[in-house]
Amino acid sequence: MSTPFEDLQARAAKRWSELTEGESAWIRVGGGTSGQAAGADAVFEAFKSSVESTGVNANVSMVSAMGLMYLEPQVDILMPNGARVYYGNVNADEAKEIVEQHLKEGKPLTDRAYAYSGGDGSGVGNLPELDSMPMVALQKRIATRNFGDTDPHDLLQYVANGGYTALNRALTEMTPEEIVDEVKAAGLRGRGGAAFPAGVKWSFLAPSKAPVKYVLCNCEEGDPGAFNDKGIIENDPHTLVEGLIINGYATRSTHGYVFIRTGHELPIESARKAIAAAYEAGLLGKNILGTDFSFDMEVSLTGDSYVAGEETALMEAIEGKRSTPRFKPPFPAAAGLWQKPTNINNVKTLSYVPEIVRNGSDWFKSIGTETTSGTAIVCLSGHITYPGMYEVPMGMTIREVLEKVGGGVSVGERIKVLQAGGPLNGLLGEDAFDTMIDFDAMSAAGASIGSGGIIVGNETVNVVDLLRSLVAFNQFESCGKCFPCRLGNTHMLEILDRMCQNKAKSADLALLERVGTSMKAGSLCGHGQLGFNPIASALKYFGDEIKSCLAGEIAPGGVFGDGTMILPTRTRP
Amino acid sequence: MADGTTFKIDGRDVVAKPGQTILQAAMDQDIYIPYLCYYPKMKPQGSCRACMVEVEANGRKMMVASCTTPPMPEAEVTTNSEEVEGLRRNVVELLMSEHPHGCLTCHRIELCGPQDICQRHVTVTDRCTICPKNERCELKDTVRAVELDLRTPLNYHRRDLPIHSDDPFYDRDYNLCIVCSRCVRVCDEVRFDTALTLTSRSGVALVGTSHGTSLLESGCEFCGACVDVCPTGSLTERNYKWEKAVSEVATVCTNCPVGCQMIAEVNKFGKVVRFKADLAGAANNGQACMTGKFGYEYTNDSSRLKRPYVREGGILRKATWDEALEKIKSGLGGRSSEELAVITSPRGSNEDQYVAAKFAKSVLKTANIDSALNADNALLSRLEARLGAGAATNPIWDLENSKSLLVVAGNPTEEQNVLAVPAKKAVREGAKLVVIDSRETELTRYATEWLRPKPGSEALLIAGISRVILDEALEDKEFVGSRLDQAEELKQSLWTFDLAKVSRDTGIEDAQIRRAARIFAESDAGAILLGDDGLTDKAAELVVDASIDLAAITGNLGKASGGIFPLYRGANTLGARDMGATPGENGRDIAEMMSGMTSGDVKAALVMADGVSGYSPTLSSLPAALENLDFLVVSAALDSEITHHANVVLPAATYAEQNSSLTNVERRVQLLRITAEPKHEEKTGWETVAAIANAMGGTGFDYATASDVFTEIAQEVSNYSGLNYERLQSGGIQWPVDSSILFSDEASKVTVVALNYDELANSAESGSLTFAPGRVLSQPERDVVVRKPADMNYVDREQFVQVHPDDAKSAGLNEGDVIQVKTDDGHILARGKAVFDSPQVGLVGATTLFGELATKMHELDVADWTPQMPGLGYSTVTLESAPVEQEAGAAAD
Ligand SMILES: Cc1cc2nc3c(=O)[nH]c(=O)nc-3n(C[C@H](O)[C@H](O)[C@H](O)COP(=O)(O)O)c2cc1C
Ligand code: SF4
Ligand code: SF4
Ligand code: SF4
Ligand code: FES
Repeated sequence: MSTPFEDLQARAAKRWSELTEGESAWIRVGGGTSGQAAGADAVFEAFKSSVESTGVNANVSMVSAMGLMYLEPQVDILMPNGARVYYGNVNADEAKEIVEQHLKEGKPLTDRAYAYSGGDGSGVGNLPELDSMPMVALQKRIATRNFGDTDPHDLLQYVANGGYTALNRALTEMTPEEIVDEVKAAGLRGRGGAAFPAGVKWSFLAPSKAPVKYVLCNCEEGDPGAFNDKGIIENDPHTLVEGLIINGYATRSTHGYVFIRTGHELPIESARKAIAAAYEAGLLGKNILGTDFSFDMEVSLTGDSYVAGEETALMEAIEGKRSTPRFKPPFPAAAGLWQKPTNINNVKTLSYVPEIVRNGSDWFKSIGTETTSGTAIVCLSGHITYPGMYEVPMGMTIREVLEKVGGGVSVGERIKVLQAGGPLNGLLGEDAFDTMIDFDAMSAAGASIGSGGIIVGNETVNVVDLLRSLVAFNQFESCGKCFPCRLGNTHMLEILDRMCQNKAKSADLALLERVGTSMKAGSLCGHGQLGFNPIASALKYFGDEIKSCLAGEIAPGGVFGDGTMILPTRTRP
Repeated sequence: MADGTTFKIDGRDVVAKPGQTILQAAMDQDIYIPYLCYYPKMKPQGSCRACMVEVEANGRKMMVASCTTPPMPEAEVTTNSEEVEGLRRNVVELLMSEHPHGCLTCHRIELCGPQDICQRHVTVTDRCTICPKNERCELKDTVRAVELDLRTPLNYHRRDLPIHSDDPFYDRDYNLCIVCSRCVRVCDEVRFDTALTLTSRSGVALVGTSHGTSLLESGCEFCGACVDVCPTGSLTERNYKWEKAVSEVATVCTNCPVGCQMIAEVNKFGKVVRFKADLAGAANNGQACMTGKFGYEYTNDSSRLKRPYVREGGILRKATWDEALEKIKSGLGGRSSEELAVITSPRGSNEDQYVAAKFAKSVLKTANIDSALNADNALLSRLEARLGAGAATNPIWDLENSKSLLVVAGNPTEEQNVLAVPAKKAVREGAKLVVIDSRETELTRYATEWLRPKPGSEALLIAGISRVILDEALEDKEFVGSRLDQAEELKQSLWTFDLAKVSRDTGIEDAQIRRAARIFAESDAGAILLGDDGLTDKAAELVVDASIDLAAITGNLGKASGGIFPLYRGANTLGARDMGATPGENGRDIAEMMSGMTSGDVKAALVMADGVSGYSPTLSSLPAALENLDFLVVSAALDSEITHHANVVLPAATYAEQNSSLTNVERRVQLLRITAEPKHEEKTGWETVAAIANAMGGTGFDYATASDVFTEIAQEVSNYSGLNYERLQSGGIQWPVDSSILFSDEASKVTVVALNYDELANSAESGSLTFAPGRVLSQPERDVVVRKPADMNYVDREQFVQVHPDDAKSAGLNEGDVIQVKTDDGHILARGKAVFDSPQVGLVGATTLFGELATKMHELDVADWTPQMPGLGYSTVTLESAPVEQEAGAAAD
């Protein structure tokens, strides 16, 4: 007799072969927020109607985005012979022509396409193979393995590509302790900012015998320039759902919450659909896959507040309160959500878990560096040629990422400054570009992988102006609970304002440092404790430029060369 | 301390009690660590970071907030390193950028007066010398303790917000607020009112009411807890706002039987300029209420009676004590005992009550003695007859751990306010609350089950609950088996309480009675709060009987957080009973005295009138009754409708001018302490009565001090034996000594009584319309308009009158008609739009907001306003259409 999971796999295999092995071609339009923002919806509709009007035999799907955002909207066509051709920056008006030429005539538009994969390599002209493009070749896709390939809302497509085998394996072949050990051995460190070993965190919660325990997933992701958490949930929600269920089993928890910031509409919808589908498939709820493990999951939202991403503020928010951080101890493993034992991890952290369980800790450990195994999912934006989301192995240098993956500076002459890891982390200058992407190397350089966002600025960016923008963000987002952060950010902003307006006094730098140090030592949560980071790192790499502001030699221009970045500030009248 | 944590603070060995934080352990040892957001008895918050210390443990050093961090064993805590002090100073310096601080950081701060020329050019409005909290500012102490520099390079911004001084009793000046959120937290986590909230976030985070509404609509109960905890001049009592106190005296509030321990702040002229709840108070745990916090001021009133007066030729003239006593001797003397009456003050001390009782018995030889708020009431007398004490069986703060609560015919949030605080806490923490009351009160809004029976059928309903408990075998079988006397008789009698009949006769669905029964019986510890509002004496007795039976079968007597709490009114009613100031054999109680005066049977009386008002809900006929007397002596602090017909008026000392004792509802004997000697010829109650007794030839009235009287009390009153002033100094003691919970002795028996269905059913009234007015702190589901015609805010809200459709039909009224509720004597009690949602035929309701009452009390032009607080009394009424010219929705009075 077959197990419930084998049944599910059989259905999935059938579905996948219908899509990829039948007589029909498969047209995949990359969706997600990035695709849709670029017009993927219209492109999708255009392909559907073109297929209908030309009468060709093809399925049209909106699938996940590939992460190559500079190419969006993007469409690929898989022919029954197995050849797959990729078109970038597709316009809805071109749909008809592509369908007619490529599908009806069997002649891919090689001058419009940018790459191919599969097949026998015939009929694709001089197109490069997708995997040979540096921004693809340099990636090691684990959490983003299905990007561009599957429909995020189709559980069967996920299963067909190996999905939920890890869960099945965990539930049927492994004890919770073995999973915790496996995650520990994999050296998986939290991707939410603090880089705390996930397995160790789980082992705090696991022994508690409390009847109700929670595992939470943090997708607040309010950092400007970061979109990988949202990206994963939009483009492959089941990898997170599976990771969170395994997390629940490993810690013998009863409930999971996926916390998503209000306003992240697509991820919210995607997570809800995935959870519903998982319930329907018997992957959530009572007696999952026929085992005696039961686990519930839901999506929880709050108002948009950056600090709601801090783990205890997030718990307050789920409880329906003002999202302000709690003091610790007690730590969440002792008293978290609703005062029950709780674990919390970032989306990325949890999304690695299925592959770790499926392939083993040794496999994961073999990727990345000694102290940071696995990959970094970086989001490139700003003055960079190929903005996008790329999963690269830890240990790659920043320069490689910028130049090989990102294609170097887009406008202007050179990359001057990076804002890496979100507004609570550092600014990096050229001196630091040879730093390895690895938690420890990055922090030694004065920055952090943080949220994974890297905002690139060219030589026109004024560092003081950029700092002002970051501090303005931090000031606006301070929850206002503790005095050093509430008041310190306001003062730092005032001083930076003065510097930007050429009104700074020479003593202002020392004042800035004094306020920043008090925030660091005195604040209740990371928001205040880290709030001086951008300035501290900027002093390291751009000290002269900052000091020149004090001397009244303010350089013209603003962030990204087009004037002061307008960010809201909530400052005193 | 067996399971404490041993660690070091600045090299000193310290043992923290379990659950204590570093700061709390330090405070216990008198080690000073600055703090601004922490407040004793509240949860730590971790906001201000003024309490940062360095901790070294397990080889790691870190800076932590001492208010939130428990000590690790063997940790070394440093409070005074350069680094720690520097950090604190920097944090406090940041705070100074939004708080006026020119004075705070000036070395002349202790020298300057408000009118002095400022040498630092501090704007007048920014000077500490003009701040109401100048002399008692925690922020100032902290700033000075951390030794802030004279000048700060940080920009200072004044918030420039308007001051809120348009709500009753206290002012809010958020220009001075440091956003420590103590006020918000005390309101939420201690008072459960959530009238205040944090507003906005980041650099402009502040506190206030939600959306900046008036306190009248925010759900504020004007308890002043926020004012007491505010470390700055942001929240201040409006009266005596700038008065500087020179001493603090621990005393007791004399407005209700909770007996909150208060700290009286006294200025250098002996005036009480502030009252704040004593954090150490056993009865109140640091809490107080509107009347306690703000109603103390009458003692300072310039219209206080300063010397005796005697009536001659129809007018009262000044007299000496001797003249007055001479007059009294002839006025009261030579009369038969039936003609005489003694009315004691509900605030009167045990000493006053004792001496008055002794005087009535041995000198006047009359049995007509009672406290003005009826010390002999049915509720307490029946409780005493059944349980041996007309008082609470358990301590008040036991209620915070109760798992279920049953409140019957009482409104503790208004009448015994601080007793409701632990009850509300229990509910917040998950206890289930069952309220049996026809009126909508604050507690009905928290109730899991609100049973709104036909007025008068409360006892029947309680018996019905007991019946369900037996039916469903939910009783505490062990307790019933081993501790009850006559359990079988009770059970037999309850079998006659058919639930369908109970449901019909109370007007409550049987399903709801069952739910209430399960809540009470299935919880670990259930307490019963028992009032007598709207009940006849007979009904009150039956309610007591039924309640004791219920408590007994559920095993809730002799158990922590169970028990019975009577909700009566007079602050020292229990003391009056203990001291024998209750009617003797064939004696008259207060109601009978009033009717006796009216009928001419009672001809002469002594009234101790402190806290007695003809405008109080139960004494409205007193002034008219007194008018009929041949001879009336009144001892009073203030002139009033009671003194108007007196032949002799004697000046009374107030609570602030005496050392004496009072006994609260939980049997706690507590000391009133003198803040200043009477300035003129005022005498305390017992001194007054003793002087009269001596003048009339009585013996045994030669007491030198209150303590002497108390010594005699300890000899004469068995429950007080072993007590003396010395033992009472530290916070009061419950009688009988060492029995905080009655019936906790496993060998003691509780006698239950059989209940008679017909007797219980007959106490329900029928035929007439009963008006049961309600009052709540807020009704978020209804709009409130606040009007500000001049300086003050007023609630201006559409009123609704709840009527049963059947009654409306008989009165010929339609839903939506503007109607008025009228008493037999034509007094209009309520006016508003008729809504047909009264649950019972015969029951008329209307709910007002506490804010309306607060404004009224605040505006009342009477020095001693607390006795005039209108309760939620029931009346027999008729309904009629409001005359067209009446403006719909206007509040009736
Ligand atoms: C101000 C602030 C904002 C944060 N925002 C996020 C966030 O958006 N997403 C996230 O995963 N972690 C965020 N964190 C970190 C979380 O508190 C927490 O460390 C993390 O969710 C743990 O997950 P990990 O162990 O998988 O990294 C934030 C922390 C701070 C102080
Ligand atoms: S550090 Fe900032 S964000 Fe964190 S609790 Fe303090 S005020 Fe709020
Ligand atoms: S009003 Fe007073 S208690 Fe409330 S937050 Fe401001 S300073 Fe603190
Ligand atoms: S609860 Fe009673 S004793 Fe306490 S302050 Fe209020 S009136 Fe006074
Ligand atoms: S008292 Fe500790 S943070 Fe305020």
